Amino acid sequence: MTRARRLVAIGVAVLAACNEDLAAPGVCPQYCPSGTLSVIDTVLRTAISRDSAYGRPFGYQSPWTASLLLGATLPGRDSRPILRTGSIAPNVPVSTDTTSGTIVGVDSVELGLWITARNTRTRNLSIALYRLPIAIDSTTTFAALSQPFTDSLIRVVYVDSLIALPGNKNSITHDSVAVDTSGRFHLFLHFDSAQAPYVLADSGKLALGIRVQADTLAAVAFGASRLAGYGAAVTWWVKVDSLGAGIAHRVARPTGAPGFDSFVFDPPAPPLDGTLGVGGVPSMRSLLRVTLPRAIRDSSQIARATLEFLPSALPQGLVADSFGIVAQAVGADFGPKSPLDPVHVDTLRVYIGTLAPTDTVRIDVTNILRFWVGDTLVATSLALRQEPEGVDFSEIRFFSSSDSARGPRLHLTYTPVFPFGRP
Amino acid sequence: MMPARLLVLLGCALVAAQPARAQDSQFEIPGLGTPGRWESARARMTAGAFAPFDPTSMVSDAALADIGALTASVVEGATYREVEAGGTQTWLRSTRYPQFSVGGPVSHRLVVGGGYSTYLDMSYDVTTRDSTVLRGVTQPYTDAIASDGGVTDLRLAAGYRVGSRLALGLGFHVLTGSTRMSAMRRFDDTTAYLTVDQTSLVRYSGLGVSGGALLSVTPALSLAAFARSDGPLSAYVADTLVRRSNLPITAGGAVRWLLGAKARLAGSVTWRSWSRTGPNAFDTVNWSAGLELGETRPLRLGVRGGQLPFGAGPSAPTEWGAVLGTGRVVAGGRGLVDLGLERLSRSSGAVQEVAWTLIVGLTVRP
Repeated sequence: MTRARRLVAIGVAVLAACNEDLAAPGVCPQYCPSGTLSVIDTVLRTAISRDSAYGRPFGYQSPWTASLLLGATLPGRDSRPILRTGSIAPNVPVSTDTTSGTIVGVDSVELGLWITARNTRTRNLSIALYRLPIAIDSTTTFAALSQPFTDSLIRVVYVDSLIALPGNKNSITHDSVAVDTSGRFHLFLHFDSAQAPYVLADSGKLALGIRVQADTLAAVAFGASRLAGYGAAVTWWVKVDSLGAGIAHRVARPTGAPGFDSFVFDPPAPPLDGTLGVGGVPSMRSLLRVTLPRAIRDSSQIARATLEFLPSALPQGLVADSFGIVAQAVGADFGPKSPLDPVHVDTLRVYIGTLAPTDTVRIDVTNILRFWVGDTLVATSLALRQEPEGVDFSEIRFFSSSDSARGPRLHLTYTPVFPFGRP
Repeated sequence: MMPARLLVLLGCALVAAQPARAQDSQFEIPGLGTPGRWESARARMTAGAFAPFDPTSMVSDAALADIGALTASVVEGATYREVEAGGTQTWLRSTRYPQFSVGGPVSHRLVVGGGYSTYLDMSYDVTTRDSTVLRGVTQPYTDAIASDGGVTDLRLAAGYRVGSRLALGLGFHVLTGSTRMSAMRRFDDTTAYLTVDQTSLVRYSGLGVSGGALLSVTPALSLAAFARSDGPLSAYVADTLVRRSNLPITAGGAVRWLLGAKARLAGSVTWRSWSRTGPNAFDTVNWSAGLELGETRPLRLGVRGGQLPFGAGPSAPTEWGAVLGTGRVVAGGRGLVDLGLERLSRSSGAVQEVAWTLIVGLTVRP
């Protein structure tokens, strides 16, 4: 075969090879398919029923389970972190073998604290540390600690002043602060033996309370022990009887019973009422059960779905602050203990101070509704919760479906099934 | 390159098969689809004029009687189509395998054959732009409605030579196939409105019978007559009957004149009662004329005209085409490769389309 014929053969093979592109602009209505995609936009006023709020007095996150310890001294809000360090052993090794000596005194104590969140408008921040009763626990109330927070001040640390010092370190008190790349402050506070005595009967546990103060916006969050790597840490420099060889100086860290941390606040969290509450501390969630008409659930496709709420009260929290609300499908509807579906989630950010009492709060739930339409066996319930939970006093309450005029509504934009195959 | 290697080359292009379908057309959209041609590559290169006499075509069952030996034939068509509508021009392309036939004698008078061909092609992809007011805001969107597939005609036929001058044929047809349909709406504001995309499989079924006669008036002049009747075509979605459409009755005739040993001339006319299938449908009359010159490396040419069955206007869209092709005997006479180029022009009102189709055919006589 000549070169020309070979080229012709190759050209024919290329032109005849499989290919397809049939997309063309339609000439409607003459040369368009008779069926069209119709879009229906409707508000379902009775689709949501049996909605309830849960989380008070024991929240989905409570102060002693939250990942942050909230400290605030604001008009209408006083919150104080409290913590108890873990126990240390009464005997400390004094040589390279197993020989140990009894702790007979304290040289000093270093307390490490992380300030993980701070308003950038906070000025002249200081934290005051108080000695608290060792018996603090999750049942301890703000009122129960009013006395020690009045008469047991250990010392005050001026954080902004400390940051301004060379090397971020106070050469007299030995306090220092380090700031990481995310803007978190790591405080190292030092106490002498009078401020932090070693009490053998308490196994070296130390209970402290913290008040924050500032010229403006005295509100910060400390890392809790639940936030890995950011909880409070204590280091003891102790004096040890070295069995007749004099006093040895050793380092001791808690190795025994774990510590405890939480925060107490005033005024107490308002109880649940007939509304749908979300957020706050202890954190509330609201469970909404949605009944979709069968025609929509079985054979339609959702283009957009929005939950519409009317607040029963303005959102509580710092003015000009904001918080996130998450609408999350449940894996199964077990009421307040419903497991949440981590995949089908929609979010909204509520800005406190910009919301008027008559404003409608809209949460896009398209992802969740699409999930329900795609799997008609799943429970059509969703939970509203704050994100993150239990680390913000901000909360919002909406009218529930028991208020037929102001209850939640579902605004749907969907397409019914296309008339495939029909003339 | 050896002829055998050429066979392999073309065979590879053919074997990369898609479902058997004919050529697409925008004019199929308001109706059932684009009718298939039931023509072998050789017959198509004469615009279908020789199809009623061609045993590897499926127009006339009587032609099977002249197959002579076990023969298999397949056709491929690669179409490049320009659609002009609404002031815009769009180039579309598709590759189809519209026919495969096989047949052979079971006695010196009786021949049986079968195969598949496209009955209706239902492939299109239409995009439109529009807007709607949602939640008080005008939302522009793009709709895309697409269909991919068609109805295939499975034929079992027999041709019987009654005498040296007359042959009769009878065929039984099973219509089957499916289309994968999709309808999608994409809003411009994709952050607020998600794209909706629905898909479905539409399945089709139906039955038909056909018959034909071939008469040699003189050694040089032959006449053919053929007819076909198909039952209703049922469309199912998820096993639910969603549509039942009447299918047309087909009747036609053809004449062939042998101009000596190396020239053949033919013409044919076909009438089909498409108007009974539903709205936007018209009865059609299609004609063709073709000429074949030469034996081992023939030159073929043909012209065709007529109507398309579906259109949105008061009259049927019209079609006119011309085709030029050739063929080559390979593998010691056991294979035949056909190659042709067809130009079709269709129009109805403001919509026009021109299609160029590269036709490749392979016929094997083992």
